[in-house]
Amino acid sequence: MSERSRHALIWAWTLAVLVFIYLPAMCILLASLTSSRYFLFPIQKWGLDWWRKTFDSIEIHQLFKTSITIALCVTVIAVAIAFFGALAFARYNWKGRTLFQKIVLLPIFFPQSVLGLALLLWFNAIGLQMSWMTAVFAHLVWIIPVVTLVISIQVYSFDPALEEAAFDLGASRFQVFREVTLPVLLPGIVSGSLFAFLLSWGNFPLSLYTDGADTTIPEYLYAKMVAGYTPGVPVLGTVSTFGAALLLLGGYWLITLRRRAQS
Amino acid sequence: MTDWGDSLTIHKDRMSKRPPILQLKSLTKSFGTFNAVDGIDLDIAEGEFFTIVGPSGSGKTTLIRMLAGMEQASSGDIILSGTRINDMPANKRPTCMVFQSLALFPHRTVGENIEFPLKIKGVDPAKRRTRALALLDQLRLPQNYYGKSVLRCSGGERQRVALARALAFDPQILFFDEPLSAIDYKLRKTLEKELKDIHRETGKTFVYITHSLEEAMVMSDRIGVMRAGKLVQVGTPNEIYSAPRDKFVSEFMGDVNVIPVSMNGSRKVTADSFDKEFAVAAIPEAFSAGHLVIRPEFIRFVDKAKDADNVLEGKLYNEYALGSRIQYQVRVGENVFIVEKLRQQSSTLRRDQTVLIGWDAKDGILVTG
Repeated sequence: MSERSRHALIWAWTLAVLVFIYLPAMCILLASLTSSRYFLFPIQKWGLDWWRKTFDSIEIHQLFKTSITIALCVTVIAVAIAFFGALAFARYNWKGRTLFQKIVLLPIFFPQSVLGLALLLWFNAIGLQMSWMTAVFAHLVWIIPVVTLVISIQVYSFDPALEEAAFDLGASRFQVFREVTLPVLLPGIVSGSLFAFLLSWGNFPLSLYTDGADTTIPEYLYAKMVAGYTPGVPVLGTVSTFGAALLLLGGYWLITLRRRAQS
Repeated sequence: MTDWGDSLTIHKDRMSKRPPILQLKSLTKSFGTFNAVDGIDLDIAEGEFFTIVGPSGSGKTTLIRMLAGMEQASSGDIILSGTRINDMPANKRPTCMVFQSLALFPHRTVGENIEFPLKIKGVDPAKRRTRALALLDQLRLPQNYYGKSVLRCSGGERQRVALARALAFDPQILFFDEPLSAIDYKLRKTLEKELKDIHRETGKTFVYITHSLEEAMVMSDRIGVMRAGKLVQVGTPNEIYSAPRDKFVSEFMGDVNVIPVSMNGSRKVTADSFDKEFAVAAIPEAFSAGHLVIRPEFIRFVDKAKDADNVLEGKLYNEYALGSRIQYQVRVGENVFIVEKLRQQSSTLRRDQTVLIGWDAKDGILVTG
């Protein structure tokens, strides 16, 4: 096989995989750009009517408020807990560390529907009223392990001698943390925050079981699909997906910018 | 060649006249039942460049980490200028360490790195900057490096930044934990000399650890050779070179010829592996058996058996060019000898040629162990 055809084949394969991954998201966008009431392909009449209707709806505003509130709370709490968890995970050598690593990561692989049910039963047992606050707790159970893993990756590349050097140069424990540990690990913390926010934002099974009367965007999308579909569903889906993608790209753009400024 | 017979028993310590800034008294660090550092007694004089040399696992890193306050001593005393500092944490000790990884703060510029200890001390920004710029100058770094990211500095530049940061702290003692081990040969040679110059300019006490005796030789006023947590020998580079205390120290010096021998009369030893007797200058007190050490540069090719005190017949196996010197491998029966000459004195010898090699009695060093 010639060099050229080998290149062509690699490109074709890469493109095929990308289409496979991204085409479904594009379909959502296309489905939202119709003016008719029902979902018909190919689209008969294009228009932005449903975008306007969706953004005018008070119900939708409430959905956004709930989803964002949950995601923000989850981000703050998860990052605070996972940061120190990551230090124990990757920075310090201590007896029982490998066991700790396994136990911390295990919840990632629990089936979320089962985890959600378990949390629901547990909240009921201790008599908690379900609301977005219980959903925050439920999300944390699954998201803290993920964020711990994400921040740990950064911590693994952290030279412990940096902290020792700062301490040796007269810094107090707190100054070492503020001047060295925190800023050096900041890219990991940003990555962890993005993961926390976006995983909470898109989570469906845990919210379904644990947020009681409050409704998040993924729950609403599912409910509307089951009964009462309008092109408002793909509109909301598009906003949800592309908003998440933008946030992610923006976050990594910030990290890259910081790295550039440094070097 | 100095008179090793004297210095083997008497430690001529040219630093001992100055007052000791650092005293170690039976300093020990144990991990369980294992003593990583095993009862070290040592005085380091003010302004001295003292190097601790040892193979990996000899406990030298544990020792320097205890001195810097990064590791707690199990027993014994660390006395700095008359004060016991065992329980003083690293951030309160007036000492500073240059780490093996250098530990430059990657998120800071060169200037911010150097100013770090001053910022911690609460020095105002203008004064910090002046001091940092002066240190850049002293370390032969351009002034415009002040705003440069440390990530964009070369290996040699990073070394200088790390040293500048340590000097900005203005420590009483500077510790070095093998900072040059990851640097290529040529640059390392340059930096060794620079470090010695900086030592002279600042007049500070430097305590350096390395696994390379060659590096220690270049820079140090005195060297301590460490093995299995103990100081085997302490002395000036010349003393260590010409009068190694035992086989370990002599072999640590690089290529040497070591022959197991036992005492036989006042100026003779028997080497069973050669079934021969060798003449030696003197036999140390209480010596009964040990090793005869002959440095390759003291062995020469001779024409006849009378040309040296000890002569052996062997075959030239191979030759190795080492820059300004040439080494020859000569096989005498089962035994291998290394002979070294300066390039301009090199011999025109062929492989497998039968040669006579010899050395004088005064050039053989007897060591125990």
